[in-house]
Amino acid sequence: MKAVLLLLLAATAQAAKLAVESAKYSVVSAKGEPTTKSLSPSERSSSEIVRIGQDDILKLSFQVVDTTTKQGVQPAQAFLRFYDEQSGEEGIQPIRVASSGKAKFDLNMAKPPATLPPTSTAPLKVTLLLGSASYHPEKLELFDLYIPASHPAPVHPDEADFHVLPELKHTFNAPPNLPPRAVSALFAGLVLVVPWATLLGLWLAVGPQVPRLFSPNILPFTASLGAFEYLLYRYWVDLKLGDVITYGSVLGVITVFTGRHALASIADKRLGTQK
Amino acid sequence: MRATRSLSGTTVSSIFTLLLVLCITLAFGSSATAKSASSTGDSVLVILDSAKKVDYSIFLQGLEAKGYTVTVRSPRDESPLLIEDGLPNFSHVVFLASDTKNFAKDISPQTLVELLTLGTNLVLTLGLKQNLLTSLAPEFSLLLPPPATPLVSFFPERSDSPSVIPIAFDTKSVPNDTFSVLSQVENKIWFSGTPFALSANPLLFPILHAPAESFAADLSDSPGLVADALADAAEKGGEGFWAGSTLSVVAGFQTLIGGGTGHGNDAGPGEDKQSRVVWVGGPSLFSDEFATKKVVEKVETERGKSVVEKPSGNEQAAMDIAGWAFQEHGVLRIDEVKHHKVNQTDAPETYTTNDEIVYTVKISSFNPTTGKWERYSDLKDLQLEFTMLDPHVRTALPAVRGQKGVYSTTFRAPDRHGVFKFVINYKRKGFSHLLHTLIVPVVPPRHDGYPRFLSAAWPYYIGAISTSVGFLLFSAIYLAGEVKEEKKSKKE
Repeated sequence: MKAVLLLLLAATAQAAKLAVESAKYSVVSAKGEPTTKSLSPSERSSSEIVRIGQDDILKLSFQVVDTTTKQGVQPAQAFLRFYDEQSGEEGIQPIRVASSGKAKFDLNMAKPPATLPPTSTAPLKVTLLLGSASYHPEKLELFDLYIPASHPAPVHPDEADFHVLPELKHTFNAPPNLPPRAVSALFAGLVLVVPWATLLGLWLAVGPQVPRLFSPNILPFTASLGAFEYLLYRYWVDLKLGDVITYGSVLGVITVFTGRHALASIADKRLGTQK
Repeated sequence: MRATRSLSGTTVSSIFTLLLVLCITLAFGSSATAKSASSTGDSVLVILDSAKKVDYSIFLQGLEAKGYTVTVRSPRDESPLLIEDGLPNFSHVVFLASDTKNFAKDISPQTLVELLTLGTNLVLTLGLKQNLLTSLAPEFSLLLPPPATPLVSFFPERSDSPSVIPIAFDTKSVPNDTFSVLSQVENKIWFSGTPFALSANPLLFPILHAPAESFAADLSDSPGLVADALADAAEKGGEGFWAGSTLSVVAGFQTLIGGGTGHGNDAGPGEDKQSRVVWVGGPSLFSDEFATKKVVEKVETERGKSVVEKPSGNEQAAMDIAGWAFQEHGVLRIDEVKHHKVNQTDAPETYTTNDEIVYTVKISSFNPTTGKWERYSDLKDLQLEFTMLDPHVRTALPAVRGQKGVYSTTFRAPDRHGVFKFVINYKRKGFSHLLHTLIVPVVPPRHDGYPRFLSAAWPYYIGAISTSVGFLLFSAIYLAGEVKEEKKSKKE
């Protein structure tokens, strides 16, 4: 176990270190002079921010050297990694490094490379990955890059089905438009008050007398008329036609008899045969 | 005396042997009826050269410990057949012979696809050489790099070759609604093989991404040639260049249900059975060598950097990958569906428009440790659609508190009449597909189903009632009354 660890330490100690020297970038826009800035790539996250627009060209150049021999090195892997932390999109772009170790990379937004990931307004973290056999691998943060937003990545038409779909609510027809209840109440009140006031007023003026209201000759007939009105009310509220006709026919028979008796008694009264 | 003692001695020994035989039969009997952790079946076929069986002993023994019966078949053996008389012989097939080029006649891409339609789960490992799987992978929307370009990475720094890579599983890389297959794996996973890029196919989802610093290349050339080849490939555009964490080394594929509900009494043959496929970039992930290989890391301590050895996560990852593929985890089914009007319990024959409808569904998930289906309340995004040609209503089905596995919602039937369907169509990557449709008619209200009394009709009600009352009063007064004789009849 210890031997393996020591071997590993030995192996890594033997591997040489790569370094990136004279790293600089310049933003060439259609108008104005190119602005050149130097970079100090390190493993810690960089605070450098680069913004390029639709017609700008970002030119990056650096040289890869061996720290011990100070000679230029052409590593097997020299990649630029563009990573959008918000959306998780990633793009890897290999950089051509000459045998002297010098490397140049142009990012022309008019003709963006296919390896550039789809972007929104969030910045891309740009990292330089250097790897080669017999060297320590290096992962150096360069800068945060703001480029114009692109079209989003194409999505399979069925992809939405595999996530939560938006909720759908049915728009119902509006409930039927009724006039305000106050208006209905007002007119109901009018309908109630006006005719009854007239009727009661006229009756008061006439002053009818009802001596035989509760006489046993008349009352059954009045009661069966009342029962008919009650049946009409029940039909309106609750019953079905079949029931109503049944009850109505029974009531009708009763009413015929009580009515004949009542009207006969009135006739008798008028003709003087009854006191 | 002596006779009885010898007799008792023989009876004791015979009782003892009888008990021993009984114990043995019981032991064998219980192991014969032991169920595996899978919800679809116990038999596994591993297609592997018998000579290499010892290289995968940890994986095979792990499967047997979970209760599977494992059969190993060499690629050129004629038996046991994958499909016999139209029925699959095994519930699961693991394909570890990725270096073989010639196979028996019944191992072909067409047979593998037919196995999927018959409900058999597959674990397929790709190799660096071209074989029958190289032409099958694009059918599953996998994009493979050119042959003989394994995945290599110089990161993290290690004494192994660049093509043997320790990959750390990042739980943040799995979206919320996808099933995380490797969530139990804490250590790094050794991998050696080919990566693949995933096309946009929602049935396919990545289980383990390649590290961000990795790429597919043939490192046998000098570094300069390798770098130039990579730059040329990238300039070719499109998929000429394989690099980065968008590549996957393990990807899962879940088939959907054609009809029926996929499990239980409703599961028919054919497309009603769901099956899973896991594509792995190399069989070495399952090998003993990687399961026992230690991961050496430099760790920061108070005394500076120290070197720490940790075990690899391969054994756990292999069991998790096989477990998901063999339908142990993430397997759901619908047990019961009920619908009725609010304040009622039985389903009516028809609904009326604008009715309040209560819909309840009971869902179970398979628990591999107990081997039983248990009610499952953790679905957070289940949705119900009330559809007539197009969904008219789509609402969430939240879990009911206090009742495990019950999801319920109440909604108002639209005021369109017609034949509607309650549809549950739950598709999430890594979970089995839940599909259930119930047809109900929705009719317009009957002639007496409308509101009975309206406020606009109050004057008419009052009018009609006062007419009745007035008639009664008048007839009472007329019948009972007497016209006052006018005193003026004094003509005489």
